[in-house]
Formats: sequence, C-alpha cells, structure tokens
Amino acid sequence: MDCNTCDTAPAVVINKPEVVQVALTISDKAKEMLGSAFGDDRSHALLVGVLSGGCSGYMYDLQIVESTDQDCQELKVDGFRVLVPNASSHLLDGIEIDYVDRLMGGGFKINNPNASSSCGCGESFA
Amino acid sequence: MGIYKLDSYVLIIRGKDRLSFIDGLSTNKVEGNCSTVFTTTAAKIIDLVDVIDMGDFIAIVGHQPYKDNLIQHISKRVLNQDISIVDISSNNSVYLSTEDIVVGDKITKRNTWRGYLLVAPNSEVIESNMSEDEFSEYRVENMIPHQGHEITPSVHPLACGLGDLVHEAKGCYIGQEILARMRSRGRQGKELVKQTNPVEGATTKGKTHSLAIVRKKIE
Repeated sequence: MDCNTCDTAPAVVINKPEVVQVALTISDKAKEMLGSAFGDDRSHALLVGVLSGGCSGYMYDLQIVESTDQDCQELKVDGFRVLVPNASSHLLDGIEIDYVDRLMGGGFKINNPNASSSCGCGESFA
Repeated sequence: MGIYKLDSYVLIIRGKDRLSFIDGLSTNKVEGNCSTVFTTTAAKIIDLVDVIDMGDFIAIVGHQPYKDNLIQHISKRVLNQDISIVDISSNNSVYLSTEDIVVGDKITKRNTWRGYLLVAPNSEVIESNMSEDEFSEYRVENMIPHQGHEITPSVHPLACGLGDLVHEAKGCYIGQEILARMRSRGRQGKELVKQTNPVEGATTKGKTHSLAIVRKKIE
C-alpha cells in the first residue's frame, strides 16, 4: 500500500456542522435525581454529549465530570453546570433531560426535538 | 485460479478512535483485520469493506461505485472522535488473488474470506490474469457474493450471503435491531443460493451453475 503519499492524497472532507448555542431544560424528576447525584458539591458538571453509533446512528452520552478536554459550551440550568460539546451542539439544541422511574428501562432519558427516530432503548437516535 | 483486479477504493483512517468508530457503525466486531458491512437504519447495505489494520492507522477497502455513499454515511458521524480520513484510491490498486502468492514489501496482503486481498501502490505492477468470467466462475464455485451483483443497496447482509459478517453478540450499530429480529425470528426473507443453470434471476452466471438471491423456504 502506498502510504507515503497519504500526505498528498486528498483528505475526505468532514463537514463540521455549525455550532449552535444550545438551550436545554431539565424536568423536575431529573432535577431531583441530579440533585441527589451531585449532593451539595456543584463543582462537578453534567456533560451531555453525543457519540456516533447505536442502532440509529447517534448515542447520547451523559457523564458527571469535573472537567473535560472537549470543546464545550457551559450552561447553568436550574443551578446545575451543564457542558455540551460544540461538535454535537446541533443535535442537542432544545432537548429536555428527563428521568423515568421504572424498574426496567428506567433512568435518565433525553427528549430530543431534533431526532427523527429513536431506537427502542431510547439511547440512540437519528 | 489467479489474480483479479477489483474496482475498489482505499480510505486511510487515522486517530485513536479509528477502530471503535468503524466498530460502532458496522455489522462485525472490528478489533483489527476483518470484513464488515455498513448498513442503513433499514439494514440495507451501504458497502462491504475489508478493514486492514496497519498498526497506527487502518485502511478500509470497499467498492468504488459505493464510495460516495459510504463517505457521506461515516463523515457526518464524526463528532468528537479523534478521526481523520484520507482517500488514497488514486495511488493504489486493489486485487484479489485466489491463492497465497509471494508479494513485495510495498504490497499489502491480507487473507480474507474471499481470497487474498492485495493493495498495491501504482508503482508496483501486478498482472491481473483472471478475466471477469473466470472471476465469476470462482465466485459461483465458492458462493462468494460481490458488490454490484449480490451485494447491492437493495438487500440486507443476511440475504446476500454475508451472515458471517453480522456479529451476533456485539452492541448496537445502525441496522442492528432489524438484523437481530430477522435472525431471532428466523425471518430473513431471502438468501443466496447456488443453482444449476438455467437460473431465473441469476445475480452471477457461471457455466454450469449460477448465484441467485431467492426467497428463503420456510422449513
């Protein structure tokens, strides 16, 4: 394989979508659950991101982090620090973070107006 | 039998997320050298690719006419991952050898389910000594589906003989729910068969036998 020419071979253009200033909401139940997860320590942040993959092409990624090396926008929502990576901001504008209290399939859920479809487990969307 | 020149593209993917990125979007477990299939949400084929692990990067080799759709499919899913993609198709040619042959250092050789895949820089001359008819005969004899014949955007991998490339236990990928349901319910609809000529609707015609995708008989 001629890899010495990789530098001169054409790079596949990966179109980076425009960064959107994200607005998001957190449901009362999700606030309650986040409150018990964070406790009184609000130095940590909720990272709301998107990974490629999953049944529908994109997967939500929720993490509690102190900081991240991702290029993020920081929001203050109901007293919580929320970090949204700029690379996935176009997929996350307008979402509601909800919490579903169920024995099976329960937990944090994202209601996303940008999603045209979601997979059964709710973790993946297109 | 010989060596056949494929109509292929070669993309180089670099970055620490290169394997997990391809793994998350295709049917097989991608941990190194393998073949895997990219599918739509309806589980229809975008392309079958051979993944060649070159150590600090991977190459994916697919069917040239399907390149644009594949690039469109994967490039919009590069979000935060450490991924860069370079197209080296114009600098290299791709061959399939039915036998294990000795090649020079500049030629990359991988043993795949279809035969030995050879990726050669344009400076290295490899003589293609199989005609298209001979390649078809080889494929019919060994029931090897090929892009543009059996492997097309209108079928899913289970229908065209690529079931071995659909991993049963890996996590989610695009099209997985449909393929898993087909398998678990035994309803894959169609299947690849080799039949004695004449074969109605043959996808690849051989001298005495042909390949065709037919509705699977319910047992």
